Amino acid sequence: MIRVEQLRKNFGTVAAVNGVTFTAENGAITGLLGPNGAGKTTTLRMLYAVMRPDAGSIRVDDVDAIADPHEAQSRLGVLPDGFGLYPRLTAREHIEYFGELHGITGAVLRKRTEALLDLLDMRAIADRRASGFSHGERTKVGLARALVHDPQNVLLDEPTNGLDVMSTRAVRTIVRRLKEEGRCVLFSSHVMQEVSALCDSIVVIAHGQVVARGTPDDLRRHTGHANLEDAFVALASPRPGGLE
Amino acid sequence: MTFARSLRQIAIVMRKELVDSLRDRRALWSIAFSVTIGPVIIAFMMNRVADRQREAEQVRIPVVGMQHAPALIDWLRQQSGVQVVEGPANPEEAVRNQEEELALVIPADFVHTFNQSKPVVLQIVSDSSRNDARPSVERVRRLLQQYGAEIGSLRLIARGVSPAAAQPIVLEDIEVSTAQQRAAQILTFIPMFIIMAGFIGGMQIATDSTAGERERGSLEPLLVNPAPRLVFVGGKWLAAALAAMVSTALTTILCANLPRFLPLDELGIRFRIGLEHLPGIIGAAVPMCLFSSALQAAVGTLARSFKEAQSYMGVLVLLPMIPGVVGALYPIGNAPWMYAMPMLGPYVLLTNVLGGQVPPMNAFLISAGISIVAAAIMIRITATLFESERIIFGR
Repeated sequence: MIRVEQLRKNFGTVAAVNGVTFTAENGAITGLLGPNGAGKTTTLRMLYAVMRPDAGSIRVDDVDAIADPHEAQSRLGVLPDGFGLYPRLTAREHIEYFGELHGITGAVLRKRTEALLDLLDMRAIADRRASGFSHGERTKVGLARALVHDPQNVLLDEPTNGLDVMSTRAVRTIVRRLKEEGRCVLFSSHVMQEVSALCDSIVVIAHGQVVARGTPDDLRRHTGHANLEDAFVALASPRPGGLE
Repeated sequence: MTFARSLRQIAIVMRKELVDSLRDRRALWSIAFSVTIGPVIIAFMMNRVADRQREAEQVRIPVVGMQHAPALIDWLRQQSGVQVVEGPANPEEAVRNQEEELALVIPADFVHTFNQSKPVVLQIVSDSSRNDARPSVERVRRLLQQYGAEIGSLRLIARGVSPAAAQPIVLEDIEVSTAQQRAAQILTFIPMFIIMAGFIGGMQIATDSTAGERERGSLEPLLVNPAPRLVFVGGKWLAAALAAMVSTALTTILCANLPRFLPLDELGIRFRIGLEHLPGIIGAAVPMCLFSSALQAAVGTLARSFKEAQSYMGVLVLLPMIPGVVGALYPIGNAPWMYAMPMLGPYVLLTNVLGGQVPPMNAFLISAGISIVAAAIMIRITATLFESERIIFGR
């Protein structure tokens, strides 16, 4: 479970994240929905502790992520936005490298790696170097190494961005499966259909603030738009704070 | 517990960087280059010196008008290493066109003038702009002066005068730059090449694991792993330092084997790197590798891309060359402050160790201490840079 309260981050004079509060429950998929530049990536980066918030609190399970970032990180599986791979390492080595850094070794590591290779249908690329991987294959490697330490909470920053239909479906299947396993999945997107199809709960962010929160149906009711896309446009248009 | 865990993580990062770079052809080539370039240059220069010396001893004198002075020609032929041959028809043309290094012209009235005890004019045709011909020309000049002096002495003795009376002064040339010394000077480059090998050997890993990591966007996911920044920096630094140490070791081994391939005996040079030098070499080179890799990692982290890092490294690589080049021109002394300079200290230590004068233990301790402190500062700086959002996300 992830609990975020009054999170703030400024870049110079720009308030990139301006008092964001939400909760992502276990066994549920929470969508962080917002237009480009709304503050989704910045929020996630503070959650996985590579960026320090200026104010606010973050709790991952029951760990204070600001006071004890490493403990929080070991409970998080993260797929950052626009992540890179090591071109000279194989898919398997990527998974094992991150597994070892999380303290997993030997037979356990091998078992986890094999399970992920099967889960993500990566057998064919397991021992190939990453330099020639397609975008879909790279995403799979990124997902696998994010999940190698069996994290309770999974953060995915626009995981389907730029993927073809097949890969997008594969990612959605994984995300649903993670939910069924009782994990807390938080994932950001600017694509309406994706969020509405996948998420149990949606947090709409615009201009660094949460402008709406609830199930897809809640949002439709809130805005009075039957179509979720219209609802999103109404929420994301530059009138922050008026609709919650 | 956490400390042990951090050490394990450092080892994991180090191993990954080493595996990664062993698959990197560019990295392997740069190590191979840095290791071999020094010994190859030294071997080449040594052979040139030896050839020159052989050439100067073996002088071939094309003589025009050989028949005019049979006694002189006989005398020349008796001198060691001298080969007298028939000169070209047009000696000036031949020397100008570099067909001959020099030519000796004997005038037709040699015997007539000689018998009247008047000075005979002998001409040495040479091109003073040709450096490679100079030793031969010098040798011929000295031979002829020697012949003239012998004849002069005999004439004075025949007239009952001591030859010493005709010699108010005697000039004695003391040539400082003998071939031997030139060769020894070339060997003074060895410490520089050993240090350069360490510097270049670690460079590829230090830049690829910092600037390269930033360029690929793999730094952010890496830092999501639960470990202090010092762990990541430490692992990368140790991988680079290890590569640097392997490079210095290989260069040292190559240099130690140089005497097998070089005509050092012929040049009268005693040069040896043996097991007895090993502690001194390790004591000087290991701290140097630790420092240079840390410096490179810090500079590499500042670069947004591998290319950018390489251009910084191009400037940095001049650093270890400075003491070497200066040392070759001006003999570097053993002032104590030198041991306290990060790159200069190891250079001076190595020079002394290879020169057969083992510096005092204190010198090693000071040099190593300074290098390690400087390395620690660089690592601290790099770890701080790894905290910076501008570095992690700025691409």
